[in-house]
Amino acid sequence: MEREKKIRVVLTVTAAAVAVGLLVLFNLILDSYMMRIVNLCGIYITLALSLNLIYGFTGMFSLGHAGFMAVGAYTTALLTMSPAQKEMNFFLEPIVPWLANVEWSFLPALLMGGVVAAVAGFIIGAPALKLKDDYLAIATLGFAEIIRIFFTNMQSITNGPLGLKGLPPYTNVWWTWGIAFASILFMVFLFKGSYGRAFKAIREDEVAAEAMGINLFRHKMLSFTIGSFMAGVGGGLLGNLMGTIDPLMFRFLLAFNILLIVVLGGMGSITGTVISGIVITVLMEYLRFLDGPMDFYLFSTDGIPGLRMVIFSIMLMVVILFFQKGIMGNREFSWDFLFRPGRFKKNSVEGE
Amino acid sequence: MKKLILLVTALMIFAVMVTGCKKKAPELSEVDVIKIGVFQPLTGANASGGELEVRGIKLANEMFPDVLGKKIELVIVDNKSDKVESANAAERLVNKDQVAAIIGSWGSSLSMAAGQVTKGKVPVVACSATNPLVTKGNDWYFRVCFLDPFQGQVMANYAFNKVNAKKAAVIQEISNDYSVGLAKFFIDSFVKLTGDEKSIVAKPFSYNTGDNDFTAQLTAIAQLKPDVIFAPGNYTESALIIKQARDQGIKIPFLGGDTWETGPFLEVGKKSVEGATFSTFFTSEVPITKMSEKFLKAYRDKYKEEPAAVTALGFDAYIVIKAAIEKANSIDPEKIKNEIAKTKDFEGSAGMITLDENGDAVKDAVIKVVKDGKFKYLTTVKP
Repeated sequence: MEREKKIRVVLTVTAAAVAVGLLVLFNLILDSYMMRIVNLCGIYITLALSLNLIYGFTGMFSLGHAGFMAVGAYTTALLTMSPAQKEMNFFLEPIVPWLANVEWSFLPALLMGGVVAAVAGFIIGAPALKLKDDYLAIATLGFAEIIRIFFTNMQSITNGPLGLKGLPPYTNVWWTWGIAFASILFMVFLFKGSYGRAFKAIREDEVAAEAMGINLFRHKMLSFTIGSFMAGVGGGLLGNLMGTIDPLMFRFLLAFNILLIVVLGGMGSITGTVISGIVITVLMEYLRFLDGPMDFYLFSTDGIPGLRMVIFSIMLMVVILFFQKGIMGNREFSWDFLFRPGRFKKNSVEGE
Repeated sequence: MKKLILLVTALMIFAVMVTGCKKKAPELSEVDVIKIGVFQPLTGANASGGELEVRGIKLANEMFPDVLGKKIELVIVDNKSDKVESANAAERLVNKDQVAAIIGSWGSSLSMAAGQVTKGKVPVVACSATNPLVTKGNDWYFRVCFLDPFQGQVMANYAFNKVNAKKAAVIQEISNDYSVGLAKFFIDSFVKLTGDEKSIVAKPFSYNTGDNDFTAQLTAIAQLKPDVIFAPGNYTESALIIKQARDQGIKIPFLGGDTWETGPFLEVGKKSVEGATFSTFFTSEVPITKMSEKFLKAYRDKYKEEPAAVTALGFDAYIVIKAAIEKANSIDPEKIKNEIAKTKDFEGSAGMITLDENGDAVKDAVIKVVKDGKFKYLTTVKP
């Protein structure tokens, strides 16, 4: 048994080293188009993990993610933009003086984005988390829309519907994947500890969990706030990768994209989220050739725009038909298959 | 052990697949075709706008398929009306397809996302993106349409000189950058013309995209008794505003922007939008240049209908790029960019195009009015 444990540690360390090595390799040989996809994968993993924490692990159906991302993205953007850029952007209505000359470096700005999003999550969560299931979804969706309308109307802070342009391009593969790895590690350790188990207990049965002495409200708020924090950081990364943001970008469709990754990967599976985050992001770009002209032996088309989305949707349906609980269900990756072939570790309320 | 070997093999195959992806930009002598990229929303919320522009671009490609003795190939990619996708699409055109220049996109925010990617790499010409931020601070982005400040100015002039208005009210669509910009520039010009700070009767009245009850705003406006109402915005909402105003017995004339020139505006507004006046880029009734005649003939032959303004702008974006490649005698993006920037008195299908130092077109505006359920050409306004 001791030997097995040692091998596991070695394997984990090797896998991490290979992952970092791959990133270094990617950075050296890939062009900026592919690097953008690699970056997006990292960001979507962070975002999907944050939603999985709220929905998949704690069982709170929240559709307000786009709102928290917007808060994070706008905070980070406004803190990192240079005063000259701000002056150029705010040509309709000048920016409020207390923001005009602020210029932070990326890390504190990103963390601040997360903190502000967490505060927003706390304020929204306190009344809304009394609701359950679909009702909670509707309430959070409504709150996210309110955040967006706020940003549209606060012209002197957010530049309103014009959006912001010229965000410094700080986001690179080290930031996106560094934060993705940090999120994965955080989640893994969270669910080894008592808080993680409490979250899962709440997901399975609230009444039973409460009877076991779990403070429902406190744990739900904790999960929701941490999720909002991660969503804010993810939003900040996305904004600085794009270099421009506007309120319309954070419509609820964005929340559905994240939800899609979570559901497809398997609710309550960190591994599943990582896999489906990468697969969906890469596939959406890879399938682009379907939109262009194609030459089959019998007939040729000169490009049908939208075919990509049709094929993508069909693939989704097939996957969901065959894997009704998502790719991984609620299982996690472990090295067990090397020792006991064909068996993945069951990961449920009872714990390991 | 078997599985480990499998894993390593898979990784190696993957590594081989991705190596050798950094390509050098090709020289003119090495290529058979010259590629021009087009990124437009072909699916999603803005699909109809993107489709209209692509029509114009394709038509131009059919009429002028060659440059420097080589064929021009259009690489059309969809940006799904989504900002993240838009940046991806532009990045793909730059790196994977290695196009010489890019046309796009319908929608300013989509163009701005792409501008961050293409800056310093490939020149881009937008057809109908009117947000000033698109070209501001980006030497590599150009546009063949005029922008909001000019359109706001044109309509303020029209209100002051032709309608003889002394007082105006403004209704804006707050969630739309286009509408907010236009309203702001109209107010600035109108105040300057009348020399009276109070000539705009109140702060702009706002509504959101998708609203359908405007009686509150209209009641407030009716009490202020302006001579004219300026209401740029989405065509459906604008038509509803005018309809509800007429239903309330408000007879004040309405002025607007180019977005009104669509079929649904007439269908929703019916009789009530009679007399609504707006500025736009293009008219098919009176050919502005010789190129307009050619364009109109080719379009009518092919589609058996009248072209939309954005279709003409798509056409113009293509011929501006083609002319620039010809003059540069190269497919080096930097040289093409410099030639596009020099565009002066260029004969486009939607008027003469001169690009200013920001890369924005300075050109005539057309004023149209709704008469007998149709858009009628009223006059042309010089910049």
